Amino acid sequence: MIKQQFEISAGYKKWTNILLGVGGLALVLGIIFLGMSKEPVEQTRFWAVLLQNSVFFLLVVNASMFFICVTTMAHGGWQMAFRRVPEAISSLVPVFGLLTLIIFIAIVFGHRHDIYHWLDKEHVEHDPILKGKRAFLNPAFFMIWSVVAIGLWSFLGSKIRKLSSEADEQMDQETGRKYIIKNTAWAAAFLVAFGLTVGSTIPWLWLMSIDAHWYSTMYSWYTFASSFVAGMSLVALFVVYLKNRDYLEYVTEEHLHDIGKFMFAFSVFWTYLWYSQFMLIWYANIPEETIYFKPRMQGPYRVIFFLNLILNFAVPFLLLMRRGSKRNYTTITALAVLIILGHWTDFYQMVMPGTLHEHYSLGWFEFGILALYAGLIMFFVGKGLTKKPLVAEHHPFLKESIIHHT
Amino acid sequence: MSVTKYESQLREPLVNGDKTYGQVTQDIVHTIEAKPTRLWYIGFYVSVALLLFGVYSVYREVVYGIGQWNVNRTIGWGWDITNFVWWVGIGHAGTLISAILLLFRQGWRTGVNRAAEAMTIFAVMCAGQFPIFHMGRVWMAFFTLPYPNTRGPLWPNFNSPLLWDVFAISTYFTVSLLFWYSGLLPDLATVRDRAKTKLRKHLYGIASFGWSGSTKHWQRHESLSLVLAGLSTPLVLSVHTIVSFDFATSVVPGWHTTIFPPYFVAGAIFSGFAMVQTLMLILRKVMNLQDYITLGHIEAMNKVIVLTGSIVGCAYLTELFMAWYSQVPFEQDIFFKYRIAGPYGWSYWLMMTCNVVSPQLFWSRKLRRNVLFTFIMSIVVNIGMWFERFVIIVSSLYRDYLPSSWSIYYRPTIWEVGFYLGTFGLFFTCFFLFSKYFPVIAIAEIKYVLKTTGESYKNDMSTLENKNVDEFIHEMHDHHEEGSVKVVHH
Amino acid sequence: MALKKFVVGCFEDEKVLFPAVAKVRKAGYKFHDIYTPFPVHGLDKAMGLRDTSIHTAGFLFGMIGTTTAVTFMTWVFTKDWPVNIGGKPNFALPAWIPITFELTVLCAAVGMVLTFCYICQLAPFVKKHTFHPRATDDLFVMVIECGEKTDEQELTTLLNSVGAQEVNTQVAEEGWWIGRYDQEQELYKEPNIA
Repeated sequence: MIKQQFEISAGYKKWTNILLGVGGLALVLGIIFLGMSKEPVEQTRFWAVLLQNSVFFLLVVNASMFFICVTTMAHGGWQMAFRRVPEAISSLVPVFGLLTLIIFIAIVFGHRHDIYHWLDKEHVEHDPILKGKRAFLNPAFFMIWSVVAIGLWSFLGSKIRKLSSEADEQMDQETGRKYIIKNTAWAAAFLVAFGLTVGSTIPWLWLMSIDAHWYSTMYSWYTFASSFVAGMSLVALFVVYLKNRDYLEYVTEEHLHDIGKFMFAFSVFWTYLWYSQFMLIWYANIPEETIYFKPRMQGPYRVIFFLNLILNFAVPFLLLMRRGSKRNYTTITALAVLIILGHWTDFYQMVMPGTLHEHYSLGWFEFGILALYAGLIMFFVGKGLTKKPLVAEHHPFLKESIIHHT
Repeated sequence: MSVTKYESQLREPLVNGDKTYGQVTQDIVHTIEAKPTRLWYIGFYVSVALLLFGVYSVYREVVYGIGQWNVNRTIGWGWDITNFVWWVGIGHAGTLISAILLLFRQGWRTGVNRAAEAMTIFAVMCAGQFPIFHMGRVWMAFFTLPYPNTRGPLWPNFNSPLLWDVFAISTYFTVSLLFWYSGLLPDLATVRDRAKTKLRKHLYGIASFGWSGSTKHWQRHESLSLVLAGLSTPLVLSVHTIVSFDFATSVVPGWHTTIFPPYFVAGAIFSGFAMVQTLMLILRKVMNLQDYITLGHIEAMNKVIVLTGSIVGCAYLTELFMAWYSQVPFEQDIFFKYRIAGPYGWSYWLMMTCNVVSPQLFWSRKLRRNVLFTFIMSIVVNIGMWFERFVIIVSSLYRDYLPSSWSIYYRPTIWEVGFYLGTFGLFFTCFFLFSKYFPVIAIAEIKYVLKTTGESYKNDMSTLENKNVDEFIHEMHDHHEEGSVKVVHH
Repeated sequence: MALKKFVVGCFEDEKVLFPAVAKVRKAGYKFHDIYTPFPVHGLDKAMGLRDTSIHTAGFLFGMIGTTTAVTFMTWVFTKDWPVNIGGKPNFALPAWIPITFELTVLCAAVGMVLTFCYICQLAPFVKKHTFHPRATDDLFVMVIECGEKTDEQELTTLLNSVGAQEVNTQVAEEGWWIGRYDQEQELYKEPNIA
């Protein structure tokens, strides 16, 4: 018997609790030994790790809603068999958004200029470049725009999830037509908001401003690609998990194949953006720009820099190229985990060189917070999945998803 | 694998009217078999005349040198590199439609892909002329190729974006041609097998390579198309990326910016779709193909136009913002003194209006489905995209680090313009010949989707549409079992 | 080059074709081929054809392109004629990515198309027997080879019973030859099969 309604199993609960326990412990220990430490470096480490994880996972869960909206806009039908999964993931946006805002408040109002250099008012006065950027890099704008962005994602996302519930009821053709148009309109609204935030301003504010003097027009699109491919991998993980537990009756390896294509294509796309940004700066060799790659490529972050390329390009590219591997549950699971870790590493090398410089570490606290976020994702997504049937039985395009083949 | 033909009835049919397979063949092939219309002849002769004017302009340039153009020491890249980038950009839509939309399974591509691919090839042919003749001593163009020579051998500079262009454009041309022609083989065989005259049968016999329609061949053909699509997708991105590298690897303010690669690609798709739109609207009218290039197709392409137009707009604003944010005085000057203002300011605002502001009108469904408005917009967009390249090239060049070499009044000569007009001649001459001698719509692909998305067949799907999901699955499995039977050999 | 005898059944609808294919296979007949005007998905499986591996050829050709590009540029710039270009290292890998990529794609595409033409025997001036001129228009033409033991009559009856619109027997060259499509072939005017 195929189960329509997700029930959290004992095993799932156990693993959630373990991760939450480990993560919670790491956080508590982190507050005591790092956050309240006398060593400025330890404090910086504490906040930098929280910043990296909160921003990364917020963008990753938000990527699920982006996926929903893009497929809705393109009038796609194939994703209907598992659309409730990215919906459940995207329901985390308000939660992670709130966490991120709390961390921002602490950083900005705690004047942590070791994280954001431009928070140091005195220094900015004597730095003509930072002084010139003050209209953009200032606490008020930073906080307001962050609240607006997170608010927009949460509001539009919840609206779209609410719309999705309507497809649990029988609808005739005319209602169906109107329903599709309504969905498309809201998806378009989300995408416009997404373009104005994730596609441009938000990564400049949250991440690029860590290296406050440096600039790159590509930065936001690059960050988007990184978070989107990790987001697709997260969707893949939950789809595989649910399928293994006899849920998601209509999902076949054809759907998995298409998710795999997204993972493959956007890994390549990420590499393309990475290469374009890196090569242009390497080629023109302007000191103001190459300063960004100096510590990363030749300094203490060298290993992570190349690891980033191996994890996010070489491995997915070589292993996902074959048709068979995109249809294989084990391969997809392994690669999804690898890609998420890979892009977590990518965000790590975005945040750390500008904050911790050569004093970076990759130890119990970093992985502990990672576990905390993994636990939070499991906890909230699990809860989100129980709230609705796993398939919108009366969505006009569901049947297309059922006969979908690649 | 299911053999059930089903598509939601909420989707617009992609083939209108009550069509059978035979009717599809008839509709598309008869334009090849009939005598061309008067309009065709007029268009063809006008194109040939333009082409001849272009040939004469090029002759002037080759014989008298690059001085026939008004490019000067400061603005070394004037109209002709603008035209080059413009044509290459247009040449992106074809492969995009066939490749990326194939991978994304957008059904509407079937109606327009053949003509769009042909357009791609012709546009790339036009684009290639400009850098070649810009070399000045065009008879030495082969120096760009890495072959063992008596000059050392002195190899070309593999680190130079201009050499990357040589490889990119020639690869793109070759692969597009192969992709297009391998798709044409089955359709040429259709024309061959219907041919009434001996000459036509003979020539299409040669052109169709002896295609027979064997199932095994179809299976390989599909695999080939998929892989070629998979290869063309990054290829099409790489081509305009490399064109953008021509600018972005330099240290010229306004050129050296990391967003150039994806932004150029988005712009290329944008202008390419506009050109496809222009041609399709003419084609469907002149050749009576309204049933195959429906309002649904036009609307879908308009959606791509508004999407890519907005991406391009996002990039324009990003550039402006970064010019300020970087706090680099040269970047700030180029953008705020010499681009949005100054003697060439009008071209910036023309570009902004045509590319970012006016496509936003396509948010309205009514306008998206208005043929006349779409036609006008498609031309507006192409003007805008020409000016984008003009803005990038001229406004970054006429002011540089050395005030002594500043120059304002760059104006093309008649021969520079004539060269551009000549490529229009080449483009349309090729397109007219194509539309006369080749099936302008992919016949086999239309037949493949006919029973899923044809108007009359969609009406038959009501029974499936009204079934609930469980019944629907049951129905599917019935079909499934009929298809697979255990084999007993005698 | 050999002349053979074939029984040909033409179908108008793929809905009829699929069950017919299954029944003919079940009866133990071997298909020479089924000619269709467009790719009918699932027909290859129904006929029992194995999957094509032409994409593997594409991958191999691509690898040849990659290797050629990288080794050639490395040789030129580090061994044959090292030049200092803009202070970049002689082995300037980031700057070679574009050409390497283009050559990979070029080799893969050209190699695959040539492979495709070779294994499908497609080339200008190549001619193959047309079992039915509407096979490229709107008919699905099932062709079954007659072996020594095949009962032609029985097969014809079977094809008629599974829904073929038109059934006939033809003697034809099974492979390809150099020829013109506007001229009748003279190959099967005198059937001389065993």
